[in-house]
Amino acid sequence: MKMGYASTIRVPFGPQHPALKEPENFIFEVDGDIVVGVTPRLGYVHRGAEKAFEIRTYVQNIYLAERVCGICSHAHTTCYVQAVEDILGAQVPPRAKYIRTIIAELERLHSHSLWVGIAAHEVGFDTLFMYTWRDREAIMSLLEEISGNRVHYAMNTIGGVRRDITSEGASKIRSTLDAFEKRTKEYAKIMQTERTFLKRAQGVGILKKQDAIDLGAVGPTLRGSGVKNDVRAGDPYAAYGEIPFEVISHEGCDVLCRTIVRCEEMLQSIDMVRFALDHIPTGDLRVKVPPAVSAGEAVSRVEAPRGELMHYAKSNGTTKVERYKIRSPTLANIPALCKTLIGSHIADIPLILAGIDPCFSCMDRMAFIDSKTNERWIWSMEELKRKTVK
Amino acid sequence: MVDGGAEKENCEMTPYEVFQLLVFPGLTLLFVLAFFYEWIDRKFFARLQNRYGPLYTGPFGLFQPVADFVKLLGKEDIVPLACDKLVFALTPIFYFALPLTALFVVPISESTGLIAFEGDLIFVMFIFTMLVVTVFLAGWSSASRFGIIGGVRAALEMLSYEIPLGLAMVGPAIAAGSLSISAIANWQSSHLVWSIFLQPIGFAVLIVGLLAELEFVPFDIPEADTEIVAGWRTEFSGRKLALFKVGRDLELVLASAIVAALYLGGAQALGPIPAIVSFLIKTVIVVLLLTFLRAVFARFRIDQMTAGMWKYLLPIAIFQIVLIQFGIGR
Repeated sequence: MKMGYASTIRVPFGPQHPALKEPENFIFEVDGDIVVGVTPRLGYVHRGAEKAFEIRTYVQNIYLAERVCGICSHAHTTCYVQAVEDILGAQVPPRAKYIRTIIAELERLHSHSLWVGIAAHEVGFDTLFMYTWRDREAIMSLLEEISGNRVHYAMNTIGGVRRDITSEGASKIRSTLDAFEKRTKEYAKIMQTERTFLKRAQGVGILKKQDAIDLGAVGPTLRGSGVKNDVRAGDPYAAYGEIPFEVISHEGCDVLCRTIVRCEEMLQSIDMVRFALDHIPTGDLRVKVPPAVSAGEAVSRVEAPRGELMHYAKSNGTTKVERYKIRSPTLANIPALCKTLIGSHIADIPLILAGIDPCFSCMDRMAFIDSKTNERWIWSMEELKRKTVK
Repeated sequence: MVDGGAEKENCEMTPYEVFQLLVFPGLTLLFVLAFFYEWIDRKFFARLQNRYGPLYTGPFGLFQPVADFVKLLGKEDIVPLACDKLVFALTPIFYFALPLTALFVVPISESTGLIAFEGDLIFVMFIFTMLVVTVFLAGWSSASRFGIIGGVRAALEMLSYEIPLGLAMVGPAIAAGSLSISAIANWQSSHLVWSIFLQPIGFAVLIVGLLAELEFVPFDIPEADTEIVAGWRTEFSGRKLALFKVGRDLELVLASAIVAALYLGGAQALGPIPAIVSFLIKTVIVVLLLTFLRAVFARFRIDQMTAGMWKYLLPIAIFQIVLIQFGIGR
């Protein structure tokens, strides 16, 4: 190894690293203990999802969309079915909209709760990590009772939802949430008062308001920098237009504020689920839709737990989609993340990285660009197969 | 050398002394204690976190640390091409042997240690420092980025906690008027008072220093797993890692034994309770305390830790010594 004097060293994070739960590579240029440069290298978990969308029927794609992410699976299906319903012009029954909302908020609860645990683990606070993940199980079990599945709920279908929430189920949700709310308040208090955690989170990973807007950050990362931006409020989908809530944001711009935003969003989600359960209308669960979708295109937006999720669909009148595009919130947060990391200590890298709640496998897309000639090209499925299966 | 009367004359060890060195309270007991305390640490840590901890190997998972040790011994021992081979091979042995050596001067089964001598407190302090030097060398010799960062962090940590730790160990020595650990322990039993009641500040400083020495949260900076993989231990595997692990366990025994001897009256027979039982009770309490502390904090950053140690812990340690000089707590 060549090491000069007063030079920087390159510290690799990933593709395999304990701080990253998924394979992704960041190379840090480090001067002493301070990061002076970041080179992200994305694409380790590229799965060809968008191509796979094109060779399946619309109904099969629901299951594919579900599997884009292992945590915000409902957000992806909601986004997908909304895009298709938009092209079809299908009117989703109001009860289905409410059920979608309830599941989405329960999903936000367990996703944020997972994040709180990871953030605690990144700074060595394993006890809080174990406690939050234990209580997260209650929400997972709840979702299992409602939908039959812990992770991939398979609740959405084009034109509505597949399962109903019974009054029995509703009372079960209420009682679970009562217990969960108490715990969440406790953990939120711990994270805002525990001195060792504050020392690691306060003033760390500063992302200024203007930078956050300029670099296109989304979700709690953006709201932690004091920007009130939430698809649920700005462009209401499902039943969000009928549920009163206020967008939570904090001016602190650091990791602590991202934590507080998430904790408060959890408490807010609990209230939203309660409101939705109280006001859920009766009626059908779904409308029938034709298997073939007329030509057209649609963009659908959903506020996933990690931020704004965007799906684009282009149909051509057959039973298969012509082009599909997913823009996951993690990808939108990467430029802001790189900006945030510069100037931080090596020891703070994991927490800042975790601060955007990265979900790399949802994010990885591929495009071929020759950086010198700016030439772009596309591989066909046959070429892809030939080059990967070797 | 089997033969020779001369050998017998030089070596004046009786069979009982050999038994003492090898079995009780020597090597065998120390190994049993090392694995037992690791089990206590893991089990209690797990229970604090609402987990089960070791469960399957032996009753209540008691043999899990032994099983881990044996398993690691059988694993492939990978030596990186770029490493300093000699240092890389020697550091695990040192890390394992140093705390073991120090444990012989600490009173365990009777009121004096096996090879107690005047000034052995200094010897133990030296061992504590050498342990960190070994850690630094281990990280440095592995020629891995994570290893080097971990080693440098360990050395930086030592520079900040070593002086308060030393001062906290000297406090009871001043009170007892001796630099022998056994003498300090005996002074406490003859005066019918434990140093913890005389010098509570010193006790707190010692516990904080030992948390750093043992690389427990919030001072597990040199091996912060989410930051630098396994820190200075990243490149070690197989037998070498096994030696590091058992060395860490022995260090835990040493740390708890030192606290017990200096501040809790040492291995002192209390009426019908034999010395070894009193030693066990005291050290287990110390281990539980250390484990509890490591469960309730987040990890500091290295600069925060260094600043905190120099700004707060050192003045507090000096304050305790000043109090002793004024006759309070002796």
